[in-house]
Amino acid sequence: MTTGLDPHFVAPARLTLATMLTAVSAAEFSTLREGLQVSDSVLSKHVSALAEAGYVKSRKGVHLGRRTTWISLTAKGRKALSAHVAVLRDLIDGIE
Amino acid sequence: MESSSTPPTRAQASAALAEAEATRAKVAGDVVLPSWFTTSMGAAVAVQIGATAVAVGDGPLWVLAAGLVIFTVVAGVQLVRFRRRNGVRLGGLADRVVFGSGAVASWSYAAGFVVAIAAANAGRWWLVVLASLLAGAGYALAGRRWMRTYRAAPQEHGRGTPAAWLAASAIVTIAGVILLVLLR
Repeated sequence: MTTGLDPHFVAPARLTLATMLTAVSAAEFSTLREGLQVSDSVLSKHVSALAEAGYVKSRKGVHLGRRTTWISLTAKGRKALSAHVAVLRDLIDGIE
Repeated sequence: MESSSTPPTRAQASAALAEAEATRAKVAGDVVLPSWFTTSMGAAVAVQIGATAVAVGDGPLWVLAAGLVIFTVVAGVQLVRFRRRNGVRLGGLADRVVFGSGAVASWSYAAGFVVAIAAANAGRWWLVVLASLLAGAGYALAGRRWMRTYRAAPQEHGRGTPAAWLAASAIVTIAGVILLVLLR
């Protein structure tokens, strides 16, 4: 593994998920699912992995009378993502 | 892939980052304001400034309360509509557009407020109406401007000020308005 790359963001879908969350304060589970174009179970797996690392948090809510889940990036997740992206940029620029 | 020990190649890293950033740009680009969002916020601000000026100018206190209630109800309804329409929460929108902490919105509000209060004290009611309407228009335009700014750099503008700080600012503002009325 390249030094500095965060293993939690190596899967492209997780990198995309966390990057999407930097654009909002929180997003509904269904909004993220449509953005990533993955199934509920796949998204749940990615969210659980990032939540376990303390990078995202989820909160239950109600939308149009149905239960829904709001996902947001934590400060720890934001910091880890910035560091990961910086390493990726160095790799792309051939600085390693 | 998470457990893989093989680092991504330059091409893989570039593709993953480009995909992530394109998806973020799409999320931000898909965010739309519900119908009449900025117009209703501008109108609510105009009503609130006008009502405060009437109360400060020896009007009944319930007018002041009605102005604050109208603003609060419009702001709450519009934020719920936004959330339902887009499936996202944007702290920056609540902060900059609804509570008007952006430079253009806050200057519009402050200028309109000061002129409206001075006009009410001088009994120039036409000027109270004009100042309130202009402040509301500035507020509405600032909201539209913020949306363009957000779409250009969503990662910088999406989150806004923490809700606790906004609540504290709202309490201080309301206390200031009440003090202004009590000292009239």
